[in-house]
Amino acid sequence: MIYLDHAAATPLSDKALKAMTPYFSDKFFNPSAAYLPAVETRRDYEDAKDRIAHVIGAKGVDLVMTSGATESINLAFSVLAPNAEVLISAVEHASVFENAKRAANYKEIAVDANGRVKLEDLRAKLTPNTQFISICLVSSELGTIQPISDISRIIAEERERRAFAGEKTPLYFHCDASQGLGLLEVKVNRLGVDLLTLNAAKVYGPKGIGALYVGHNVKINPLTVGGGQEMGLRSGTENVAATIAFATAIEEAEKHISFERKRLINLKNRFVKELKDLPNIKFLGNPKFQLQSFLPICLPGLDAERLIFALEDRGVYLSTGAACAASKGIKSRTLSAIGLSDEEIAGSLRISMGKLNDEESIIEAARHIREVVAAEINRLAK
Amino acid sequence: MKVFLGMSGGVDSAVSAHLLKEQGHEVVGVYMKNWSKNLPGMKCPWAEDLADAKRVAVKLGIDFRVFDFEQEYKQKVVDYMLAEYQKGNTPNPDIMCNQEIKFKLFAETAFEQGAEAIATGHYAKTDGKNLLMARDDNKDQTYFLYRISADIIPRTIFPVGDMIKPDVKALAEKLGYSVARKAESMGVCFVGEANMRDFLAEFVETQPGEIRELETNEKLGVHDGAIFYTLGQRHGLNLKAGLPYYVVKKDMAQNIVYVSRNLNSLSLWTDKIQLKDIIIRGDNDGQNLQARIRHRAPLVAASLNRETGELTFAEQQKSLTPGQSVVLYRDNICLGGGIIA
Repeated sequence: MIYLDHAAATPLSDKALKAMTPYFSDKFFNPSAAYLPAVETRRDYEDAKDRIAHVIGAKGVDLVMTSGATESINLAFSVLAPNAEVLISAVEHASVFENAKRAANYKEIAVDANGRVKLEDLRAKLTPNTQFISICLVSSELGTIQPISDISRIIAEERERRAFAGEKTPLYFHCDASQGLGLLEVKVNRLGVDLLTLNAAKVYGPKGIGALYVGHNVKINPLTVGGGQEMGLRSGTENVAATIAFATAIEEAEKHISFERKRLINLKNRFVKELKDLPNIKFLGNPKFQLQSFLPICLPGLDAERLIFALEDRGVYLSTGAACAASKGIKSRTLSAIGLSDEEIAGSLRISMGKLNDEESIIEAARHIREVVAAEINRLAK
Repeated sequence: MKVFLGMSGGVDSAVSAHLLKEQGHEVVGVYMKNWSKNLPGMKCPWAEDLADAKRVAVKLGIDFRVFDFEQEYKQKVVDYMLAEYQKGNTPNPDIMCNQEIKFKLFAETAFEQGAEAIATGHYAKTDGKNLLMARDDNKDQTYFLYRISADIIPRTIFPVGDMIKPDVKALAEKLGYSVARKAESMGVCFVGEANMRDFLAEFVETQPGEIRELETNEKLGVHDGAIFYTLGQRHGLNLKAGLPYYVVKKDMAQNIVYVSRNLNSLSLWTDKIQLKDIIIRGDNDGQNLQARIRHRAPLVAASLNRETGELTFAEQQKSLTPGQSVVLYRDNICLGGGIIA
């Protein structure tokens, strides 16, 4: 197997698996129970939250643990007052898009040909009534890294203006950092965000666990009520095992961040070299603003889904754009937003590398891709 | 020959694609998107089915297309089915789908796009003129195909018609098709018989009504809509224990379901029925036929009065349900049939 879909899911790290196992057996206790073994489990849980928070420069109490990025995003949107005006980028995950659609008034901020948010368009669309802005750290289809600090500076200016003018309308900035964690420095203060969505499943943690960082100035409204866990913001017995594994995985990734980045850049360069002679191939995005693990490509005139099935037959696994959208036959919003034609969108593939890849596997994968593309071109020529 | 093959994402059409290609045809795989809506308790698997079909097409290196017939399927099959149920009949939507969609709309669209023949993964055969029973008695699907037009038969190929199902599966396995072990899809897209009740409940407004004993006219219980009941039905009546009751009659206007304990009730058994919407391919006097009253039911000797449409069975038949089809054969030729009036 050659796995090239790390942006869709990453395998659980051995360390994380080992760290979480005792919490299914010996340390299975409900962390809310009173007796000492349960209290110890509770301490381990809170310690794990601190460890996760530490990576983003926050404290454990600033995190609400959730079932994953989608829930975190939904929780972030819970701050919206009725009639709120919302801004999102044109390259957001479906969860952000669907939440924004529920708002009374939402607008999309345009992106450039590389999928980067246009700051001037943000300035143009930011009004005194804007209450909520949601922009991803990294676009999940292109791997484009967004200028989050520049965006938060513009937001800070607007907040300052409102303060001086005596305007009471709040303005919150949410960033979906599902992609990018473990390869980028993600510090809430440096990014200047009020809300930050984290997801374990893309950093070699387990599926089904995520977190929402909530800045002290933000009041979110719980989506689930009950026993009052997570300071009343997300009731339900804590997912201790998954939280411990998340902490272990994210610390491990953080430790090797610069090594992994360099390794991935080399792999990507090699991959590009191996693929660059394919007829009409386009490498999407600008590597300068792209997560090292991403290599989105476009082969206009070909049907990407056919390529995926042909590669699957050879044990090479990758996706078209966002995995969620492809199976439903929905046209990628992101790829439309960067101005690709329908034909180009139909021929777009997302390669996302990670721990399961080395140079040998990349060379092998590139050979398979070349062969499959040649066969497809040959078939169409008949 | 350029052949457009309907590919459902199942094993039969997958193997059909392989066989056609092996025979040297230029094959175009087509997924017919007839239905995509999820309903309570029913997840429509169209996207997975499409992917399964396409996967096989890619493996074979054949062209693959999607024909979107959702609108037409709703009109010609679903609406027909709902209207029939509302009349108190028990229609067979698969027969309608074959008549209107697969062997009409699909065929027309395929020919427009350059097909010289169409193919499907049905278990049936042709001799170039007649529709014939499949080699696999157990799988023969001519019951569902009896209404296809005589014109289309010479231009239709049933690649698995000469195979038995276990061999089809084994071949799929050998070819490495992931669909080899896929569960059979049946019925209206994903609805199937088990879910028909939920499906109807979604589309048709129903009223509770009385269940009465036919012989005594005594009220035995209540039902949640006469539309949900089929003649001969024994289960799901929720009547007091004892000998089982059978549905023997439905009064749609009064919304009353009549039941009987008498298995010999005249309402259940008959040797003569009136057929409507009869289709008979070729000249036929209606004598010395064999009839099949439901899929996989044994063949029974019968004769059809071509003038009146009355069918006479050599022996009495049970639970002949209005809306269902009786399919007529002579030897292994499927001549046509009609709908029980």
